[in-house]
Amino acid sequence: MILRRKKVVIISYILIIAVLTGCFNAKELDELGISLAMGIDHEDGKILITAEVVDPAFSSEASNTGEGSSVRYVQGIGNTILEALKDITLKFDRGIYSAHNKVLIFGEEIAKQGLVSHMDELIRDREQRESSYMLIAKGAKAYEVMGINSGIETIPANYILGLIKNVESNPKTVDFSIMDYLKHYYHEGHHPVAGVIEKIQKNEINETGEKSGTKGYELTVIGSALFKKDKLIGYLNGNDTKALNYLLDNVKGGIITFPATSVLEEVQSQESEQILNSVNVIKVKTKNDVELEGDKVILKSKVYVRAALGELLENTDISKEGNLKRIEDDCSKTVELNIKAAVQKVQKEFGIDIFGFGIVFHRKYPKQWKKIKDYWDEIFADAEYQIEVNTHIIRTGLINRPLEK
Amino acid sequence: MISKRIKDNKRRLVELFNHSTDFVTYEFESESNIKMMVCYIEGLIDRNILDRDILRSLTLNVKNLKEIRKYIMTPKIEEIDTINEVVDEVVYGKVVLFAEGLKKGFVIELSKWDKRQVEEPQAESVVRGPKEGFIEDIAVNKVLLRKKLRNNNLVFEDLRLGKQSKTDISLAYVKGIVNLEVLEEVKKRLDKINIDAILESGYIEELIEDSPKSLLPTITNTQKPDIVAAKILEGRVAIFVDGTPHVLIVPRVFVEALMSSEDYYLRPYFSSFLRIVRVIALFITVYAPGIFVALMLYHQEMIPTVLLVSAADAREGVPLPLTVEVLLMIITLEFTKESSLRLPKNIGSTVNIVGALVLGQAAVQAGLVSTLTVILVSLTALAEFIVPQLTQAIIMYRLFATIMGGFFGIYGVICAFFVITLEVISLESFSIPFAWPLAPRNTSGLKDTFIRVHLRKYITRPKALAKQNVKRQIPPKGE
Repeated sequence: MILRRKKVVIISYILIIAVLTGCFNAKELDELGISLAMGIDHEDGKILITAEVVDPAFSSEASNTGEGSSVRYVQGIGNTILEALKDITLKFDRGIYSAHNKVLIFGEEIAKQGLVSHMDELIRDREQRESSYMLIAKGAKAYEVMGINSGIETIPANYILGLIKNVESNPKTVDFSIMDYLKHYYHEGHHPVAGVIEKIQKNEINETGEKSGTKGYELTVIGSALFKKDKLIGYLNGNDTKALNYLLDNVKGGIITFPATSVLEEVQSQESEQILNSVNVIKVKTKNDVELEGDKVILKSKVYVRAALGELLENTDISKEGNLKRIEDDCSKTVELNIKAAVQKVQKEFGIDIFGFGIVFHRKYPKQWKKIKDYWDEIFADAEYQIEVNTHIIRTGLINRPLEK
Repeated sequence: MISKRIKDNKRRLVELFNHSTDFVTYEFESESNIKMMVCYIEGLIDRNILDRDILRSLTLNVKNLKEIRKYIMTPKIEEIDTINEVVDEVVYGKVVLFAEGLKKGFVIELSKWDKRQVEEPQAESVVRGPKEGFIEDIAVNKVLLRKKLRNNNLVFEDLRLGKQSKTDISLAYVKGIVNLEVLEEVKKRLDKINIDAILESGYIEELIEDSPKSLLPTITNTQKPDIVAAKILEGRVAIFVDGTPHVLIVPRVFVEALMSSEDYYLRPYFSSFLRIVRVIALFITVYAPGIFVALMLYHQEMIPTVLLVSAADAREGVPLPLTVEVLLMIITLEFTKESSLRLPKNIGSTVNIVGALVLGQAAVQAGLVSTLTVILVSLTALAEFIVPQLTQAIIMYRLFATIMGGFFGIYGVICAFFVITLEVISLESFSIPFAWPLAPRNTSGLKDTFIRVHLRKYITRPKALAKQNVKRQIPPKGE
């Protein structure tokens, strides 16, 4: 009896497996075209997809010998993203496997027309990853920036990925993924921002053994792209992007360079040159707030910066009491000015809330929000902005006094 | 009945032994003309003592029938009356003495035969700990155990099994500690055995185990006396079988496979570390190929990109589907293991070289298998030898998990995991749950499972086993 029951259990297991299995369609690795980056463009009224497919055999050989290309570029055209993807199969021997996409690059043209109608496939398909980074090719088609590799990585997609990940040491760019974009897109009172990628001319240096096809150009991810809902409306430069990162509490490092005020007074008479100090940012904590005073909306930010002294060009002995405090205040002031300028620029030039003050307002005044949510952007553009910055320098480096001049 | 006449006895005995040539009878006469005869089996007895101490003494001294017993100068003498008893005694290496005019025989214990030396068992070698191992002789084996437990509570109970082989079996347990239910059950199951021969303790194991259809052994076997001593002190019963160095111990729990006698001789932290390593090894050796196949065929998105690219590079140009490739390599590994085991030792090294070529570089260079598969299969082989007691089950489970992974992806591997775990927790060994102390959980038992705590913390014997005299030690006061 027990044995029979056991048999029944085992057989039912096998049946359950056959019925319930979620993963069918085994795919051998040598049937996959592993795509690491994808460019999406609008051309002649149709969608043009460019995929960067890794060539595994070449890839390990290329890293060994430093010769040859480790990736292939394939393109497909169609009325929709899916159609364009399937068009690739007519020209390329392997199915595009997009689960390893690191970056999705949208051409400027398609971004200006609106991205949402193209997003569906990218989030519906189980292969596509929402965690892949989203970039806008500034002033170019997506495929124009693909294939440029000025880094150590043999695969261009990894080069781009490395650039984005460097946000940790320089917040003049943003590392937003498709998921972040959609999150901001769905938030009321917060417009999405995406990263930017741009092809720039490189200074000629007599390099030996330079990789073919990359000569003369390199990529930069400085700045960010602003969206009004799903339509690209403009770009922020590096410094404003940095301010954006501060306000979105998205800073993982970087530096702050600020003029030395106290010395300025003495020195200014002799030299017109500014004396600059720098700190390495260790941690930034930002709290945004909104206040309603009558009909007036006041936007407030409180920024706390923890930093280590990086570069001291003014002639000060920081071991003396008060000097470090003054340097901290200088730093706070610069951050304050920069952020204020960036917010005012966004208010004036674009008139959209990319900082998420709308969300804060929604949380704090849920009743009022219902009435004003449709006009939030106008309210934001006219609102007064207040900021308070506190800097705390916790490390001063190995020397107390700067070098004597 | 034994006849008064030596000639009759001799004739009947020779006939009973079917004129077998190793059966020897020897007639002699004392100086006082008393006719006597000894019979024995050639090679089973100590001829020196027979000649020097018995035949000589009898020949010189015996003057009448009543004096015979006086002049047999060995301690063990029995008197028997029937011819059939003679047969039973002679085959165990005893000498039977007849005298003309006496209706009985004297059984003299003189058994002696060539034995292997007590040496370190190759299958269970240790760095720290006793090196001696059991041999094929049950008497020596009992001595080895007795030397560990010099105690009148260590009891051996003998019985004979096998109609043809008449193999000596001996139950060993510690009176006052042994689990009486288990002891009764063992005796009951041994009584039920009715087979012509017991050639190895494996016969007994198969005939008395709880779940003969299971892949997992529910009876421990070991070649080391210290292990037997430790286990019977936990309330278990050991079964010695003559003719084999493998002693059986019942009941067994699953986690014993993760233990080694050395764990208790080394420092507890290191022993605990080793046990965790063994758990990892057990998991890897069973599931690694299945998980590998599942990831590579169904869940490529779960593999880090760099690894995926190099795996794809390795797979480039390999003709076989991945599942088949992995299964083939697993089978090839079994080929290598089996052939190096069966071959004479001096050819064994050839197999190693050939096996290494097949499993390794050459196969990869020829493009038959991918490097990752070779690494994976070697890893499973390494991990397998860390848990030697479960090898038989591991191989079958590994194949099962690999096939499930190949057909159904990670989902299949998880199902395989459930089926295997179900089997482990459903087993029993002599009414003790096989998965004890994990299921049912027992906190004090867990102290000696995945970790080995300090010896001072082992105050009681395992609770599932020991029902009487459960205290193992009295820790010093004030601690």
